Amino acid sequence: MKKASVSQVASWILALAALAVVLFPLYWMVNTSLKPASEVFQSPPTFYSSRWTLEPYRHMWATRPFGRYFFNSLVVSGGSTLLAMALSSLAAYGFSRFHMRWERAGILVLLLTQMLPGTLLIIPYFQFMARLGLINSYLALILAYVSFALPFSTWMLIGFFRSIPRELDEAAMMDGCGRIESFWRVILPLSLPGLVAVATFTFLQSWNSYVFALVLTTDPSMFPLPVGIANIMGEYQVQWNELMAASVLATLPVMVLYGFLERYLVAGITAGAVKG
Amino acid sequence: MPSFLTKEVTRRSVLGGLLGLAASPLLLQACMTPSANPSASKTPSPALKTAPAAGPVTLKWQTANLTEAQYEPIWKEMVAKFQVQNPTITIEPILVARKDHWTKFVTAAKANQAPDVVSVDISTGVYNGYLLPFDDLWAAEPESYRKAWTEDALVAGRYKGKLYGLPSWGGIYAEFYNKDLVQKAGLDIAKPPATWDEYLNWAKRLTTQDRWATTILGGPTDTTTRVLLSWIWSNGGDIFNPDMTATTFASNAKTLEAIKYYLDLELVHKVTAPGSVNINYLEQTVLFAQEKIATMRNAYWAVAKVAGDNPAIKQKIAVAFPPMHGNNRATMVSVTCDSISKDCKNPEAAWKWIKFVNDREWSIKRAKIANWLPLRTDLIDDPEVKQDPLLAQFLEYGKVAKAYPLNHPLWADIAATDVVSTVQAALLKRGSVEELFGKLDETLAKKFKEM
Amino acid sequence: MHLPETGGQPVTVAPIGRKSWRGRGLRREHWLGYLFVAPLFFFLFVVIFLPLVQAVYTSLFREAGVTVRFVGLGNYTQLLGNGPFWNSLKVTVTYAVAAVALHVLIGLPLALFLNRIRRGRTVMRLAFLTPWMVAPVIGAMMWVWLLDPHFGAVNYMLHSLGLIQQYQVWLGEPALAFWSVVLADVWRGFPFVMLILLAGLQTIPKEEYEASSLDGAAPLQQFRYITLPHLRYLLAVATTLDVINTVRAFDMIAVMTRGGPIHATEVLPVLIYNTAFQANHFGPAAAVGVVLLLLLVVFSSVYIYLLQPGRSSEENI
Repeated sequence: MKKASVSQVASWILALAALAVVLFPLYWMVNTSLKPASEVFQSPPTFYSSRWTLEPYRHMWATRPFGRYFFNSLVVSGGSTLLAMALSSLAAYGFSRFHMRWERAGILVLLLTQMLPGTLLIIPYFQFMARLGLINSYLALILAYVSFALPFSTWMLIGFFRSIPRELDEAAMMDGCGRIESFWRVILPLSLPGLVAVATFTFLQSWNSYVFALVLTTDPSMFPLPVGIANIMGEYQVQWNELMAASVLATLPVMVLYGFLERYLVAGITAGAVKG
Repeated sequence: MPSFLTKEVTRRSVLGGLLGLAASPLLLQACMTPSANPSASKTPSPALKTAPAAGPVTLKWQTANLTEAQYEPIWKEMVAKFQVQNPTITIEPILVARKDHWTKFVTAAKANQAPDVVSVDISTGVYNGYLLPFDDLWAAEPESYRKAWTEDALVAGRYKGKLYGLPSWGGIYAEFYNKDLVQKAGLDIAKPPATWDEYLNWAKRLTTQDRWATTILGGPTDTTTRVLLSWIWSNGGDIFNPDMTATTFASNAKTLEAIKYYLDLELVHKVTAPGSVNINYLEQTVLFAQEKIATMRNAYWAVAKVAGDNPAIKQKIAVAFPPMHGNNRATMVSVTCDSISKDCKNPEAAWKWIKFVNDREWSIKRAKIANWLPLRTDLIDDPEVKQDPLLAQFLEYGKVAKAYPLNHPLWADIAATDVVSTVQAALLKRGSVEELFGKLDETLAKKFKEM
Repeated sequence: MHLPETGGQPVTVAPIGRKSWRGRGLRREHWLGYLFVAPLFFFLFVVIFLPLVQAVYTSLFREAGVTVRFVGLGNYTQLLGNGPFWNSLKVTVTYAVAAVALHVLIGLPLALFLNRIRRGRTVMRLAFLTPWMVAPVIGAMMWVWLLDPHFGAVNYMLHSLGLIQQYQVWLGEPALAFWSVVLADVWRGFPFVMLILLAGLQTIPKEEYEASSLDGAAPLQQFRYITLPHLRYLLAVATTLDVINTVRAFDMIAVMTRGGPIHATEVLPVLIYNTAFQANHFGPAAAVGVVLLLLLVVFSSVYIYLLQPGRSSEENI
């Protein structure tokens, strides 16, 4: 028993050391974001400062439509999340409850989507959206982001649905529910953790995507956060403190979201990946 | 999944897949034809006989510098005023960080949605069919207006004899010094180095434990090439043969000599700040503003930039003509033109905006606040411009300035990739300068052949 | 990514499974299944497949300014004979191997640790997950700032600790730059692998450990004979997904080095970007993209085939 606790202490020490290394860049981001401009380039750099100020946040907020970027990111990520959930849960239900001749082909296509290099699709996707008149629309971004998130989401949900005994839907159908009703009334509620996992995953991916948003939006009032932030880092001028302030503000919401929902993500992957 | 590949491939599924594949281009066609037709006819037409727009017009306007702090207040005011004067025209500025400027423009152009008014590399833009010539609009202007631009200045906006860009503003290159650091090194700023030898002497004395005389630019943008070229020109060298069919980095002795001198500042004399391979305009100006380096080769706009980084530096700046070798008094002016894109449906309105952007008021404002020099020659004698001694000094240098970018359809690519890689390889000692730049000449010869 | 499609029945019994639903006499069910998956595939067809076809089509042309000519597979044959492509392929492979190996080397011990502890479990898990929540673009800018040769924290700290003699130019020397972008990627990428492995660990029945403890098995033996076999399939899934994601990754390297210096970090997605948007060669760029896609397809197929659960004695259902 004693021995075990020694190794436990050792592993805690190691883990905490690793954690310190992992979190240091984030600390540095916050530290830089709080420095007045005159201190940013001080060398040696300061690790904390009596001159910490919220001025970079204030100035950044005052000079850029940051609230608007925030709102755009929220709409796009929220929309992608909803659409991805709808499409992947329907498909996962199909895959987990029916035998289909084309099942493997379908799964192969999903895999293929996962493997597409984004840079290959920038121009064709833009051309496509331009022809549909969807440049500067939330929809163009939502469609792109959903397609990136679908393979993993569907895969996770297939596993989740499989873990739900078929007898349950059959019992529901005996009670007079149709397929769709049993899907809606039985399967979906039971797989809530899986759905939440899919949602957090999609939301995170959409919130953080850059290149497609860069080309698909030209109107500043449509920029999502990563594009707005990249504009702060023009090649000819970088205000590191403001850039980091913007980054902190952009990262905070997903951290809070994950703080609440992370356990579902683990549960979702557990079911999806392991039991799948 | 692998079992799909091995076992489940029935003849039917393969056939079905093939059918699907065959059908998709048709579907694609169906989806895309409605607007594909007008796009086909939208190849740049030399004659602009479009009737003046009656209804409201929206002009998209994209340049590389709209996100920059020193320009923002000016262009916002400009847009507001223009829209009051022209209630039927709306200006829609497209904000994009400089490094993504071309990507964003090209992507839009590929879908026939290029912004109406743009500032891009003229030769590259025209060569790829993205710009519209506007000789007609230019010719329709009264003589008194056209006089503001000399023929020499207009060359920067021409490609194969046609006018695609109105030279708007530029940056004349000079050597910047930090007066404090110069004094500390026991040197006299009143007698700045005029020759390479003198410059090297200064550089050695300006280098200390944690400060350096200057920096080589070796980062992945074309400012690397600009500074290299300004040294080459200060030796009377050139990088193209007269008819611009081949480059002469290694074959022109003067060019090679200049490249060696410049790179040896780092390779042999070690008077440059470490990290040159990552250094471009941004990093260079930060080093100067933070007093890590004592001199830098830069344009007038750097004054605003370094003062923005560190307000205290403004009092310490001194500027001198770039040191030369032999009797080659030459420097560089980097030219930015305003152009109309191939997708612009109202060239008249676009031209109106370009004229507005380049009128006296805004040209002077850009010069005084953002430190971008007007390229219309009638402003040089303007009292407001003349009052500013530093500005006047730069304009004086401008008289012997050669225009940048060079008039070659692949220039933007060459300047940002091939030349940069070669400079980096030399700095990282991957070969001798002769060898590496000789190889560069060969690579570029191959590239030109493919054109 | 293995997607067991028959609810755990061995692959060979698929026809029997089909018979069984026929046996239930629900023929229309068959079509209902397609109905459920149809929206997804319609979506993918429109949003992914059509642009992909367009990209493949583009890869058959080469442009020189405004003149565009059909070259058939010319862009592909040219690719195979050209240095930048092979260089990028080499960089991509090294990058992916290094990054994925490090993701696992860091992610696995952390997952084991997080699975074992009782106190502070959620907090620790969340804390280790945070890098993953940072957008790649933001993470990259942060690392550029940390690694700045003159003003960055990394140089200062390493120098103060005596670990480096002089300030290093992290992104300026080819080998250093390569490992710097790997480091940045590892920082952002290990939590994903950790998360998947943790999920796997949580499903191992406690009894197996208890039983082996009674038999006197040392922790290392337990790891070898209980944990690893259980994780085998998940490790395969995690590494495959991770390889795919790492090979496709663009944002971080694009911000940190743009592929330089002297192409030391020019992975294939960055090569695609540079070819298209710097050299204005859209056909050749598309060809690189298609080749990259094919490489990924082949890799995943072979890898999954080698590691699929059916080939091992373990059942993962």
